[in-house]
Amino acid sequence: MHPDHYRHTELPPSTEYELYFGPNHPGIEGNYALKARLAGDTVVALEADGGYLHRGFEKLMEQRLWIQNIALVPRICVPDPVPMEETYARAVETLGGLEVPERAQWLRMLVLEMSRLTAHLFYFGGHAATVGLYTNMFWGVSDRDRLLDCFEQLTGARVYHMYITPGGVRRDTPPGFLDSLSEVLDYVEGRLPKFDDLFFDNAVLVRRATGTGTMDQAFAIDYGVTGPNLRATGLAHDLRRDYPYLKYAEVEFDVITETAGDAYARTLVRRGEVIESLRILRQVIDKLRSVPGPIRCPLPNPLAWRIPAGDAYTRTESSKGELAYYIVSDGSAKPWRVHVRGPSQMHAVQTLEALCVGARIEDVAQIMFSLDACPPEVDR
Amino acid sequence: MPDYPIYRDPPEQCRTPDAEERSLWGRTLERIADHCRARSLFVLHYCTGCGAIELPPSMTSRFDLERVGMQPMVTPRQADLLLITGYLSVKTLKRVILTYEQMQGPKYVMGFGSCTINGGMYWNSYATVKRLDQYLPVDMYIAGCMPRPEAIQQAFLQLMEKIDSGRAQNWKEYYRRYDHYLGEQQALFGEQFHTPTDVIGEARHYSLFGPETLGEHTAKLAKYDLYHPGQGAVDALEVKR
Repeated sequence: MHPDHYRHTELPPSTEYELYFGPNHPGIEGNYALKARLAGDTVVALEADGGYLHRGFEKLMEQRLWIQNIALVPRICVPDPVPMEETYARAVETLGGLEVPERAQWLRMLVLEMSRLTAHLFYFGGHAATVGLYTNMFWGVSDRDRLLDCFEQLTGARVYHMYITPGGVRRDTPPGFLDSLSEVLDYVEGRLPKFDDLFFDNAVLVRRATGTGTMDQAFAIDYGVTGPNLRATGLAHDLRRDYPYLKYAEVEFDVITETAGDAYARTLVRRGEVIESLRILRQVIDKLRSVPGPIRCPLPNPLAWRIPAGDAYTRTESSKGELAYYIVSDGSAKPWRVHVRGPSQMHAVQTLEALCVGARIEDVAQIMFSLDACPPEVDR
Repeated sequence: MPDYPIYRDPPEQCRTPDAEERSLWGRTLERIADHCRARSLFVLHYCTGCGAIELPPSMTSRFDLERVGMQPMVTPRQADLLLITGYLSVKTLKRVILTYEQMQGPKYVMGFGSCTINGGMYWNSYATVKRLDQYLPVDMYIAGCMPRPEAIQQAFLQLMEKIDSGRAQNWKEYYRRYDHYLGEQQALFGEQFHTPTDVIGEARHYSLFGPETLGEHTAKLAKYDLYHPGQGAVDALEVKR
């Protein structure tokens, strides 16, 4: 169509206007769009427009073998893929009655916490960029890369590891891995004071994030908010402590809470979780040095692997919140139905829409990043 | 509103590159321009899929693509390179085509990851597009899921070399064979699909109007009267949205 051929449209006079925010926009997290209704620079209403990343995972998983789905599940959430593998694997184990060896459980905890660290470091970078602190974005991304190198050493891949399989893990730690991981953990811990100087105690962040996107505890529970966002409202709810899976009951860690419920509180919760993750990881490394054993229980021929009929619901505390899989098996070689309860859907759609009302347009990106929503997981 | 019907000109009347443009001088200028273009590629900041997760490491301190002149750019009007980072859902492809047509030539498309080549992991998904080059001309592919930053770097360097040597001319195909590409787009989005960009007029502007620019598919634009104001074009857009 020729541009000159567009018809001029008359609308009734109004002080409000509509602004398309995304999907091609640096302030948006991933391929996601928001339709904002603005008066001046204040958001009157916000409508989330997802679906750009929809791949139909739940349907795809019905068409693949139980073992093939291991390659599919981490792709649901790109920045934090390991909890996806873990939750799926645990659901299959529940259905199939598989016993995971002890060493494999510790290895799983290791990758889970490493994934949480990478996701939180990425989050620091992303949140910093939305308030204009670009140095911090570079720091967050490059520090995350050190952990990705550890992932590569352990699993052979940087982003999609496909390390956790039903019944165990894919391979044992290579020689010297635990030492190099410890070094990286020390490095990350040593970086936190610098992050404090540049980011957490930065007046730019404190003044812009305090009071932005505030929610109270009742609101959070009503809207299905979970994870660090819920803990930032003062409720100490953590599946790792309340409903422990793997060996979380055997490690010491605190559940970090804040009470303000705003963007700054959410950032501080994640900062505290980085420290707790480091604590957990050090305990796991100590255990891995002493716990021997197999890393996988014996599996049948994966191409003819039938899981007994039944259904299972498993939950994991991912870096974004409560992640759950509901899997129904009809006794065949493929799942009959898979449902993914992703935490980001509650955060990026309803919660974001509600929190942005009354905020200023420049804070919309910050609110979205502070909720740490993951668009591929929203759309699935 | 122009008084000429853009799409109805018979192809033989279109302007062909004149002798001056084809002269040695013209080609030398183009060669120098290509040399410069290869060294300042602006990448459109559009994260279409999972591949976007490897772009921050590639662009920032560790692999630092800025040292070879690449930088994210927020508007398609100023971007040279459209990175399709991973799978494309049908909804995204519509935006990608819109974005691609807004970019100014010369422009390059890079398919990033297996999903753009053959569907990759989502080869049997109902929601994704399997082959990107059906809908847009692609200059370079990076295989893998997920491609490593080293692979991304290597692909960018190869693309730079391709541009420098004048071989990255695929964007011209979009104008020369617009009918083909529009046909594929119409097959996916429906016969009424069109974008606000005047591709046929631009083909004329770039002297890229070819015998395959117009055809049965561009004729559908006329059939649905999408070129004429006040007769349903805008209404069709409204309904579509």
